[in-house]
Formats: sequence, structure tokens, C-alpha cells
Amino acid sequence: MTSSRIDAIIGIRRRRVSRSRRRTPVLEGIAVVVGAIILIIAVIGPWIAPYSSTIVDIGNTLAPPSAAHWFGTDATGRDVFSRVLTGARTTLGATFIVLAVTIVIGVLVGTVAALVGGVVDEILMRVTDIGLALPSIILALGVAAALGPSLTSTVIAVSATWWPGYARLIRSVVREVREAEYVTNATSLGVGRLRLVFRHILPNALDPLYVQVSLDVSSVMLVISGLSFIGVGAQVPSAEWGASVASAAANVTTGWWALVFPGVAIAITGIAFNLIGDWLRIRTDVTLKGGAK
Amino acid sequence: MSAGNDVLLAVRDLRVSFGTGDAATEVVHGVDVTVARGQRLALVGESGSGKSVTARAVLQLDTDATLTGSVRLDGEELVGAAPRILRSVRGRRVGLVFQDPLTALNPVMRIGWQIMQPLLIRGVSKREARMRGIALLERLGVQNAPERFDDYPHQFSGGMRQRVVIAIAVIAEPDLLIADEPTTALDVQVQAQVLALLDEIADERGMGVLLITHDLGIVAGFAEHVTVMRHGAIIETQDVDSLFASPREAYTRGLLGAVPRIDGDSSVRLLSVDEIAVAPAGAAGAAAASAVAAASALADSDQGNPA
Amino acid sequence: MIRYIAKRLGLSVVVFAGLVVLSFVLVQILPGDPARTAAGRNATAAQIAAERIKLGLDQPLVVQFVKFVGRLLQGNLGTSVVTHRAVLADIVQVLPSSLELVVCAMILNIVIGVPLGVFAAYRRGKIADAASRILILLGAALPVFWLGLLLQLLFSSTLNWLPLYGQLGFGQHVRSMTGATTLDALLQGSPSLFWSAIVHLVLPTVTLSASFIAVVARTVRSSMVTTLDSDYVTLARATGASEFRVVVRHGLRNALIPISTIIGMQLGWMLGSTVLVESTFNRTGIGAYTVTAVLQNDLYAVIGSILTVGIVFIVANFLVDLLQLWINPRLRAGLTPRAPRMTPQPLIAAEVAS
Repeated sequence: MTSSRIDAIIGIRRRRVSRSRRRTPVLEGIAVVVGAIILIIAVIGPWIAPYSSTIVDIGNTLAPPSAAHWFGTDATGRDVFSRVLTGARTTLGATFIVLAVTIVIGVLVGTVAALVGGVVDEILMRVTDIGLALPSIILALGVAAALGPSLTSTVIAVSATWWPGYARLIRSVVREVREAEYVTNATSLGVGRLRLVFRHILPNALDPLYVQVSLDVSSVMLVISGLSFIGVGAQVPSAEWGASVASAAANVTTGWWALVFPGVAIAITGIAFNLIGDWLRIRTDVTLKGGAK
Repeated sequence: MSAGNDVLLAVRDLRVSFGTGDAATEVVHGVDVTVARGQRLALVGESGSGKSVTARAVLQLDTDATLTGSVRLDGEELVGAAPRILRSVRGRRVGLVFQDPLTALNPVMRIGWQIMQPLLIRGVSKREARMRGIALLERLGVQNAPERFDDYPHQFSGGMRQRVVIAIAVIAEPDLLIADEPTTALDVQVQAQVLALLDEIADERGMGVLLITHDLGIVAGFAEHVTVMRHGAIIETQDVDSLFASPREAYTRGLLGAVPRIDGDSSVRLLSVDEIAVAPAGAAGAAAASAVAAASALADSDQGNPA
Repeated sequence: MIRYIAKRLGLSVVVFAGLVVLSFVLVQILPGDPARTAAGRNATAAQIAAERIKLGLDQPLVVQFVKFVGRLLQGNLGTSVVTHRAVLADIVQVLPSSLELVVCAMILNIVIGVPLGVFAAYRRGKIADAASRILILLGAALPVFWLGLLLQLLFSSTLNWLPLYGQLGFGQHVRSMTGATTLDALLQGSPSLFWSAIVHLVLPTVTLSASFIAVVARTVRSSMVTTLDSDYVTLARATGASEFRVVVRHGLRNALIPISTIIGMQLGWMLGSTVLVESTFNRTGIGAYTVTAVLQNDLYAVIGSILTVGIVFIVANFLVDLLQLWINPRLRAGLTPRAPRMTPQPLIAAEVAS
């Protein structure tokens, strides 16, 4: 009998544990496997691609999927399958760079704001408010415009607009952890501040971070590929998934495969990481109650 | 205290389990409860004894609970009854008073609206429902009832909120009132007021009352009969005087012995229930004897004392 | 209550101020020399220098900033280097078309998202819940720009049910009064034009709203799950109310608090997402305008767009703050502080860690 059942029986008001907690996570297991495969592809993609993703082949444009070309060829004769494989590195690489930068900045700002408090906290919070006030694609457009269209400027732009959310998240979690008993105990034992942060506070703040990162893979990827689609991010002839979709748009009626497969890649990646994030959230939820909100 | 012979509520061999398949857990194991018309029954037990579950099972309020056995209200079988029938019983023939008035009231709806609901859904006109609601609030001791009728729950104190909860429970004039730990979340003084109120209302309307509680103190002054539960099963059932004077079961003795007395010897350690139940011999036996004596004295002193 | 309003208003002002600063910074770092652009391509160094003084670019940054703010407050967003018209005028012309699309998408969003979420919450753990959650997952993970193209492919090219792009049929014209095609058609009194405008709105609306529906449904589901577990819902049930009444009349009102928050934010996000939808469907609007401006390095147009979307976002959120006062009586009494909007904002859609 789980503790939640006992609680329900004795009438203690507790939020009911989601049912999916108790069934075997088949779907999530698949998601983890898919996610892992995608990550591997992102790393080794260009090396295992059967064809080049950039060299055009005018004689073979818009060939439908076949044994030779699993995903067919696009308007300039390039093998779509190879482009998808190669593009994985570009799209996901950019995504994870953004997330990494965002995490670093967010954790830094959030921790400082939470621990130092006072005026510093207020100022940092106003800054994050401003960051959160705009849809990030618009802000990213502005920054990308300032820096010129390229994947690099997109990465910078999206990072610049994404960190406020993490700063807020970390700040809220750190504040909660700071009040926790084991921290006050450690403090009373004379544990130094820095040690306190790294050994005691941060490790416990990581749970919501994992959840948020997993869920954000999809969102960030959508922004990056979206910006590339517009033409502000990865430039032609990059195999980045968003850019691929854009270049396929003109010929969508004659060669649906060039459009469909990169988009499917984005969708599957997003779904896989969302499932992982959801599952992580459910697993860490009991400790998270009332926390990072 | 009218002592009708009509049986109002007859629960027989009730089993309640939660979960399905392998995870199914039986929480109430074949329980019998009887409440006669106009009678007061206290269902007593510790946390986890299954008393709340049993009470809620009457109205089938736990949607994930599986019930077997029989629950007859005025002879009508409720287990397995059509939802339509259950809905007609709820509120109209059985009223439920909740434990925590803070969470039992909808924070974004005016209390007047909440009080009127049991009537409105039965076709009573809004004007009449409002009149009856205000009158009931006044009867329950709420000052300025007409103005306060349109207030929100957060504008009331705990005791007042509980009055609102009681109003919701009795406005449709049910025959049976189930009060699930109605005073647990309240201050001691307010507890007394609320219990007195329940007493009066039940009297006035000739309602049967099923009082769920772990607090033996309020049982003594309120109930006529007592059923003791433990671990999902009935331990014993007696009328209140006999129970306090000569409890049949060791567990009951233990429960009584565990109640602190204001004039008790503070140097004598209160007994835990398990001690009594498990080892009646020897030193514990002597302690048990003294606990029983203390309990009897408690019963005596509470006799003429309405809670 | 006054304190609450004042606080939210203050926050809005602060955010707007931040936006202004941000815009100014962007203006400074954007490549290209405004003086040179203004002086023309064949200008001499002396002429460029003169332009620089004329535009006040030789002044210290702070002074420039103050002038910038001054101009902004007068509604002067600069001149587009492409259209050579005032940016404000350009934006005012294209914005209504976007708003038209966003309003339609928002209506669809609420009409589908809320019931879906309620249904999933009510049938929590059953197959219907799982099915809804799969739909929600799909909606959140599909790229908006891709979905638009797919829908075009399917419903237009293949099935021929709906028009491929544009806001009106080929060769149809409407007198532009508000800028929103549907309204203009109505004002002109032409039912056929109105119908054509509506038909042309279908695919873009579905495309734009798909991912947002997912988020709303998710939020609704999760807040309804909490609500349905609460004591007052059980009490409502105990009074004999029908399940429908319990869920909708007693339960939903409470869930409206977080739901209205998210919908308010989505208004701004939707407007931002128009950059991905309008070009696909060849619609005029601030999205298409911004994209063009960025690709053509039209500095002031870009800044103007950012500011406009920002203002819409701020205003929408402030209105939602006011709405919360109506929904939540505890706020009126100054009791519960509003939950901070702090989760990393999804952009086109996707997760809100609710």
C-alpha cells in the first residue's frame, strides 16, 4: 500500500498521486530510447549519412522515396535522409548550446538573487520580468537583426531571451531550499557560504531544473528552427531542420517528402523530450509540491 | 431526544476497497452500523480506522471506492443504486457536514449561493431559497445574516464558516445528518458552540445524526449510542453510558484510558491503546484497571454536561 | 484592491521602460549608419557629417536616449528605410490584420482547449484522458511553420477544400477601412467578401492555434484536477448536484484563475507567432512586416514591431490582471498575492510547467 493510499484512507488531505505513477512507464521508456537515438544521431549524423547533404544533383531532383533514397530527394537533388541526419547536429547542437548557456546564466542570476536578496534581488527580478514580457521569438528577431542573420546570432538571441525563465525558477527553488531545515542546521554548524551553496543548496535545486530542461528542448528547438525557417537563423544551404522545411516550401506540391521528413524529425524529437520531461516531473513531483511555481 | 423505532440508516456488512486489480486494498471490512430515526450515533476511532470512509460510503462520495454489502436508507438500497437515486438522496435525505470549513467552502463563490444550491437544484425559486437560507443562517447564530449572505468564505471566521457548512447540510431538510469530524478544525470554545448548535438543530428537526469523531470528549455529551472502529472493523457498539461505564473490549478501555483527565494524576503516564490491548496481565493489567476506573469517572462527570 | 492594481500597473510601466531601453540598445548596436543612410549613397563625408549632426547622433548617449524616449512618446517610431513612410503608420496599417487572425485563433483556442482540458481532468486516468494527452503532446511538439505548410498541402493542394493563401479570393478586393479583412467586408456590406475572408482565415487560424490549444488544454487539465480533488467539490456533490453542475459551476470557476493567466500571456505569444504563419499564408500583418523588416535590415521597422508586440503583451496581461480581480474575490480583499508569472515562457507553444 503506497503512502498516498494510506493518506487517502485516513482522510488526510493530500493531492492524489497521478495514476500514471503506478503503471510501468512503457511510453516513457520508448521516449528515452528515441531521445537517446536522436542524440546519437546528432553527434554522428554527418558521418553515417549515405549521401552528402550539400552537393546538388540536378539530374535527380524531387525523386520520391525509394530504396536508394529513403526519404527521397529535394528540389536540388540532395538526399533528404542525409540532410535530416546532418541537420540533427545543427538543430540539436544549437538547441543544447542555448540550453547550456541559459542554465549557466540562469542559475547564476537566480542563485545570486535568492541568496543576496534585497535591492539586487529586486533589480534582477525586474530584468527577468522584462525578459519574460515578450514572446521570445520577437526579441530573438530583434537581436538577430542586430547581429545579422546566422545560426550563431540566433543562438545568442535565443539564449538572451531564454535565461530569465531559468533565473526565476532557480531563484524560487533556492529560496525554498534556503529555508529548509538542513540548510539552517548546516549554517549553524558554521558551514561556509560557498560550500553551503554548492554542497547543500544547489544539488537539491536541480530536480526542477532537469524537468524544465527536458521540457524546454522542444520549445527552444522550435524557436531556433522557426527563426531558420524565416531566414534569420541557419542560412542556406544548411541542413538545419527549419531551414530544410523552408527550402522545401516552394515545391511542396511536387515533392511532399522534402517538407514532411524534416518536420517529422522536429516533431518526434519534441515529443520524445516532452515525454521525458513529463515523466521526470511526475517522479520529482512529490518534493516539488509548492516549490518552483 | 425522540427515540423512534424506525431504522433510518442500516449498513450491513459494508466493505470498501480502493484501487483495482492487484492494487486493490480493502479498507473497511464488513461493517454494520445502525442509526434509528432521530437517534444520535457516534462512530469513534483513531485516524485510519476507516470511520470517515464508512460515513462517506453512505453517500458514495469517493468515486474511486468500490463498495459491497448493503446500505439502506429508510429501507431503500443505495449500494448499486442508479446515480439519479443517489443524487436525490444527497442533500435532501442525507446531509453531510464536513470537517474543515476552510476547504469545504468554495472560495470564489458567495456563501449565500452555496447555501442555496441544494434548494435551487431541486427547483426551489431563487427568492424562496434566499429567504430560507437567510433564516437558517440567523437560526444558526450568524449576525447580520441578510448582509452576510452575499459575503465570501474568506470574510468569515472558522466558527462562522462551519455554521455555513451546517446550513448547506441541513437546508434541504434531510432526515439524517452525517457529521464528519465537524469540530476537529476548530478552537475548543467554538467546538462547544458548534456541537450545541448541531444538537439543537437535530432536535428541532428530528434528524438522526451520525457523528464521526476521534474525540471521546464530545461523544459523551452528544451521542446516545457509540460504535467503536479500529482498522476498518467494528470493535463494539453500545449505548453511551454503558460504554463509558463498562467497555467490553480491551481496545475501548484503552481508548478511554488514553483520554487525559483534568483532575488526573499527572505523574501517571497515559496508556497507549496498544499497551492495553496487547498485555492485560501484570503491571499493565493493574494500569488497565486504573484506566478503566478513570474512564468511568470521566463518564460520570460528563454525564450531566452537554458538550 | 487598489494596491493590487497599482502594483500591476507599476510592473507594466517598468516592463515597458525596459523594453524602451532594450530598443534603444538595439538601435545602437544594429549595423549600418543611419547618417549615411539618410544622406544617401553618394554623399560626401561632409554631407554625412552634417546629417549626423542633424540627426543628433553626435550627442552623448544619454541625451540621445532622452530624445529617443521623447520621440516615442509622441508616437514617432522612426521612418522605414524601405517604404520611406513612418513606421507607426505602417504598423497601424498592418496590425489589424494580425489582430483579426489572433482573435480568431484565440476563440478557437478557448472553445477547444478549455473543454478538452476539463474533459481530460474529469476522466483522469481513463482512456479519454490518455487520448487527450496524446493530442496535447502532438499539438505542443509540432512546429507551427511546418503545420501551416502541411495543412496547405493537404486541404488546399490535395483536397482543394480551402484556399491556399491570401486573405481574399483571387481578384477580390475590399476597401481598407480597419485593416481587418473581415471587418472591412462587413463594413462594406458585402456578404460574399465576408464569407471569402472567413474561408481564407480557416487554415491560418488552425495553424496558429494548434500549439496554443495544447498548452491551454494542459493547463486547464492540471488546474481542474486540483479543483476536482478539493473538498468543496465533494461538498457540492454531497448536496446532490449533477456531475455536470459540480464540474462546471462549482469547479471551473476556480480553475479559471490560472487559465485566464495563461490565456492572457498567450495573446502576446500568438501575436509573436504570426511571424511564422503570415508569410506562409501570404497574409499582411505585423508578423510578415517584421520578417521583411529584419531581412531588409529596416532598423526602425524592426524596433517598432518589437515595441508594438511588447505593448500588446503588456496591455493584455494587465487586462488579465484586472480580470483576475473579478474572478477571485480574495484578490479584491487584498488577500492572496497573485502567483508570479515565472515559468520559462514557451514561445510558439509547448510546455508551461504548470
